[in-house]
Amino acid sequence: MSIRLDRISKRFGDFAALRDVSLEARPGEFLALLGPSGSGKTTLLRIMAGLEFPDAGTVSFDDQDVTGLKVADRGVGFVFQHYALFKHMTIADNIAFGLSVRKRRNRPPRAEIAARVRELLELVQLDGLGGRYPAQLSGGQRQRVALARALAVDPKLLLLDEPFGALDAKVRKDLRRWLRALHDRMGLTSIFVTHDQEEALELADRVVVMDHGVIEQVALPKEVYEEPASAFVFDFVGASNRVPVTVADGRVTFGGRVIDAPVAEIGADGPAELFFRPHDSVLAAGGEAGALEATVTLVRPRDGRLHVEAEMAGDDRPIELLAPADALVAPGRAITFRPTRARLFRPR
Amino acid sequence: MTNSPLTESRGARWALLTVGIVFLALFLLLPLVAVFAEALGQGLGTYLDAIAEPDALAAIRLTLLVAAISVPLNVVFGIAAAWSITKFDFPGKSLVISLIDLPFSVSPVVAGLIYVLLFGAQGWWGEWLAAHDVQIIFAVPGIVLATIFVTFPFVARELIPLMAEQGRDDEEAALSLGASGWQTFRRVTLPNIRWGLLYGVLLCNARAMGEFGAVSVVSGHIRGKTNTMPLHVEILYNEYNFAAAFAVASLLALLALVTLVLKSVLEWRYDYQGKGNGH
Repeated sequence: MSIRLDRISKRFGDFAALRDVSLEARPGEFLALLGPSGSGKTTLLRIMAGLEFPDAGTVSFDDQDVTGLKVADRGVGFVFQHYALFKHMTIADNIAFGLSVRKRRNRPPRAEIAARVRELLELVQLDGLGGRYPAQLSGGQRQRVALARALAVDPKLLLLDEPFGALDAKVRKDLRRWLRALHDRMGLTSIFVTHDQEEALELADRVVVMDHGVIEQVALPKEVYEEPASAFVFDFVGASNRVPVTVADGRVTFGGRVIDAPVAEIGADGPAELFFRPHDSVLAAGGEAGALEATVTLVRPRDGRLHVEAEMAGDDRPIELLAPADALVAPGRAITFRPTRARLFRPR
Repeated sequence: MTNSPLTESRGARWALLTVGIVFLALFLLLPLVAVFAEALGQGLGTYLDAIAEPDALAAIRLTLLVAAISVPLNVVFGIAAAWSITKFDFPGKSLVISLIDLPFSVSPVVAGLIYVLLFGAQGWWGEWLAAHDVQIIFAVPGIVLATIFVTFPFVARELIPLMAEQGRDDEEAALSLGASGWQTFRRVTLPNIRWGLLYGVLLCNARAMGEFGAVSVVSGHIRGKTNTMPLHVEILYNEYNFAAAFAVASLLALLALVTLVLKSVLEWRYDYQGKGNGH
């Protein structure tokens, strides 16, 4: 199923949660809504589900306007951040809930519901646990029950709110892969909300980066990382360094000195911010023209290389660099470095 | 106690405990024992006669009737109020919460007087009611109204924090699975709040049966007709009929004891549930 959001706006009192947001998900796509808290990502997901209604704009499923439809009539599967399992019901009753509340003429016979529950328990690898109560399961198991319950009503669209947020790191990683495989096997369209960029980049077909109620970028994970559309995306996705620079006479300067900045377009003169990834930089020989200077504050080995933190005079944000394992760096020593790949963004 | 970070000496601890127990015994336990001792002082026969006396039976019947009407109504009002306050946002929400507490903060006598002012012969709607032959004050409807007013907060107050803590997720999950509003309430909300609700009903019932002040103002003290148990006790006492007064009072005391036991059982259950140990 495809889903289209057209110019959605939503306010909560004085707070603008979403401002004129448009987005489209293709059939079979796995989409991540990525952003910090307060960016509007969960509100957008709830509007797709019909748990929240937009002040302006339309929601369409397969080109049908569903903006006014309530959640019960939209036929979507929704997985809540804290699962929202019915704690007074067994796992089997939880999963059967969506089928058992149907009107009599649409309700499958009892035996059929039981068979469907067994099938779903098997699908989420919880065979034989149907008689337990939610409190008797681990976090990862509860998560899978919530998923099975949402899938029981055969939704064409699966919406997940921070699906891995409440799990520990190891379980999270396993469940992530499993969810992706499930999505592919069942031919669903899935959209999930996360604040974890690693999760979004690893799991999604496309990533929607949001901030302050607007979409900053919609792109493939690789593009979001390598071609961030804005300073916010560059900063939010992946490790990055930000250096406040000034463009003067078509050249990038920092602290009054012209520096080597391998950027595609320099643009007009004025204040700007130079962004680069830690791995997109090299240490330079002392005194090299166009290089930046900094004082090392911290050195840690990481993945066979050295992770270096340094401070530059005139910038209070620490700089992160990656150096070869045999580099001569130690806290307190001065180093010079050059970005090999960088972007310039103008302040908004 | 041995691992307690408090550093009071053993002596101080015992002294505090003794003061507490003596106080409890003197002010709570002793009167309770006295009620039963006085009630049964002149033998079981006198006791049973006092209870079986027609006016006493009428008072018991009226008390049960009043509770049977006001408690279910307050359950409905209480759930509705708690539901709308915790599951929806609307302007004036905090005002509504304060209003629910009004019966706690106002003297029951004032509550009774309000109803006399509204429905009494000289009241706002008195003339209209008299013209249509509807009697509220000095009759059962007035007693029920006053009791509902006084007991209003019990169910709502019990449910509001509980439902606020539980949030809207469970209800939203049920709705997203296609359940109707009523199915969501009956199959998800009600089971989630059942222990808190029972607790509130229990306290509401105890107060409904024991209320004196508000009921006294609107009842008119017509023997055998508009006297509830607490009012009947007062009349007997004022007539120096101590044995009978204490006999009826002992029934109210018994109600209190039963309420206490049930309350403890519920608290234990509640606690057990709250810790998420399953079913």
